[in-house]
Amino acid sequence: MDKTVSNRKAEKELLKQRKREEAIRLIRTQEKTPFWMRMKYKYLTAYYAKQAIFKIFRLLLLIGISFVILFPYYSKIAGSFMSRDDFVDVSVKLIAKYPTLDTYKAIINDNKYFLALFNTTLLSLLCGVSQMLTCAVVGYGFAKFKFKFKGLLFMLVILTMIIPRDTLQLSLFMKMRYFDIWGIVGFIKKYIFGSSEATPAIANLLNSFWPLAILSLTGLAFKNGLFIYIMRQYFNGVPDELEEAAYVDGAGVLKTFVRIILPMSVPMLVTIFMFSFSWQWSDSFYTGLFFTNKTDFVLLPDIVSIPVSLDTNYAAKEAYEAAIRNTCGLMILAPLVVLYLFGQRTLIEGVERSGITG
Amino acid sequence: MDKTINKSIKTTNSKPITPNAKNPRKTLSLQKQKAKMGWLFIAPFLIGFAIIYLPMIFESIRFSFNKIEIQGGGGYILNGVGWENYSNALFKDTQYVPTLLGSIKDLFLSIPAIIIFSLFIAVLLNQKMKGRAVFRAIFFIPVIVSTGIIERIDLMNSLAQIMGEASNAAAEGMETTTTGTEIISIMDIENLFRGMRVGTGLVEYVVEMANNVYDIINKSGVQMLIFLAGLQSISPAIYESCYIDGASPWETFWKITFPMISPMILVNSVYTIIDSFTSESNQVMTYIHNVYNKPGGNVQATAMSWMYFLVVIIILAIIGGIMSAYVFYQKRDT
Repeated sequence: MDKTVSNRKAEKELLKQRKREEAIRLIRTQEKTPFWMRMKYKYLTAYYAKQAIFKIFRLLLLIGISFVILFPYYSKIAGSFMSRDDFVDVSVKLIAKYPTLDTYKAIINDNKYFLALFNTTLLSLLCGVSQMLTCAVVGYGFAKFKFKFKGLLFMLVILTMIIPRDTLQLSLFMKMRYFDIWGIVGFIKKYIFGSSEATPAIANLLNSFWPLAILSLTGLAFKNGLFIYIMRQYFNGVPDELEEAAYVDGAGVLKTFVRIILPMSVPMLVTIFMFSFSWQWSDSFYTGLFFTNKTDFVLLPDIVSIPVSLDTNYAAKEAYEAAIRNTCGLMILAPLVVLYLFGQRTLIEGVERSGITG
Repeated sequence: MDKTINKSIKTTNSKPITPNAKNPRKTLSLQKQKAKMGWLFIAPFLIGFAIIYLPMIFESIRFSFNKIEIQGGGGYILNGVGWENYSNALFKDTQYVPTLLGSIKDLFLSIPAIIIFSLFIAVLLNQKMKGRAVFRAIFFIPVIVSTGIIERIDLMNSLAQIMGEASNAAAEGMETTTTGTEIISIMDIENLFRGMRVGTGLVEYVVEMANNVYDIINKSGVQMLIFLAGLQSISPAIYESCYIDGASPWETFWKITFPMISPMILVNSVYTIIDSFTSESNQVMTYIHNVYNKPGGNVQATAMSWMYFLVVIIILAIIGGIMSAYVFYQKRDT
């Protein structure tokens, strides 16, 4: 009895062994193994199950969070195609029953969309490029040279980052309205030429590109302290031997910077440019401060209003007006999204390479 | 004739073609030259700081002690009022101090959430998987896109909603702020945590954070980028040796990733504080903005924001001080 059982067991074992050997032989000889066998040896293991559960969980989580990020934009896009009747209809939630492009047309015609787009593109390009170059130069200076008071001066950079811009908005406005250098020109005008103005100055810079250009070129614009910090960290990671090789070959410091360092750090530069460009694009703090004459000089953040040609006085007035405002927001952000789609690979690469440490 | 020859010899002697290693003066001058170039490189910032920023700070402080009168012919007159603007803000204004305290409380609640969330997502996005590029692109959309303009429009919409009497059914789902509540049911989370018996304080905190999940995601874009950069800078060799020694992923995270990323946590906390204190959606900032736009309120607003700045600095110093005691640096000399 016992013997037969053990025999059977042994036979079974032997069979299993043979099967496995057969499978291994088939794999070794590159012949086609039976489908189920392959599946079994590959997927029916504890290790693989653990991995699979983890992967599914991760995927679900990421998809969920992506949904949270994207859903508001989706609902806004959906709302932008709705006509007036859709907002009264209770059954309409996300997909319009009577789709229309009227909202877009009205915003483009009434709110001077293309004029605003042109102005903002010009301004953002100016600010983006100048901030990018300034922050790169200043960051390089802080990273690669030794001079007195370096730590102290870098504290000043951090200081510009910490002081809220609202703290300085009044004096910033006054500074640009009565632009002057330490009041020297005003002093000369007042006491030597006898100017009759209460506060004489070089010029009134409001309603021009000058205030933002000056701020960008001196690295004082929005979050430039952060950019300088990032660039400094990046240049700290660039090996000194590279520059030494350039010096040995007879290049000066400036030439080394322009010909070797800048081309090398294009991903970082693109990152900085994308940040400064897009933050300038949707900024309303500085533009609201410096462009007091909104009728002549339209910028994109100013176009958020209800177009005259759309009659919103209707049953679901709030919802409709909200949808129109959201459409304005979408149209402001659309060019940025296009830019982001082109630049995101470089942006993430740039951030990965930045080597920010402590 | 002899003199001139001697002179020429002297000059050639004093300027050797190859740099003399024994002569310390030569190396010093090279260093000085480089230092000069350093000054040249940071000159844009320095000039701007000296000409624009420094006077602005002084002026701003001066404005906060004065009343301002804009003259018709172009110009302004300052009337000194001493500490009046400050005392007005602190003792007469009934909203300023509560708003300030409220926003500080909010900040202390949201910092851990933002840091933990962005670290978690950065770790996830750092792993190798299919579709990583797509997820990364989606997760960094808020960094580029949500820079206040969506928030402002939402604010306008909610204002319009409050003004209009009947809130319409169709308006739901149009607003970004309600999406979080729609996706994650509050009741579910509350029930889950009740079952776990962890205390009401924590339950309320988690529920609040789950409600603000959209805000948190929006605010943690840059932090995610910084964490990703930090994770990339950890050498793979350390992970490899850990794996060979038989450490589980959980252990690897707490023993390797967490200490190595701790400087980044400090940087991110500081950045989060600065960012949330200076963002336009901050309650205090909105309040100061409103005060600024009132007639004669601009000096008041300046005084308020200086006090606010002081509070921010103090909080930064405290948090930075506490955290830097626990930060681990792989190499101290950089």
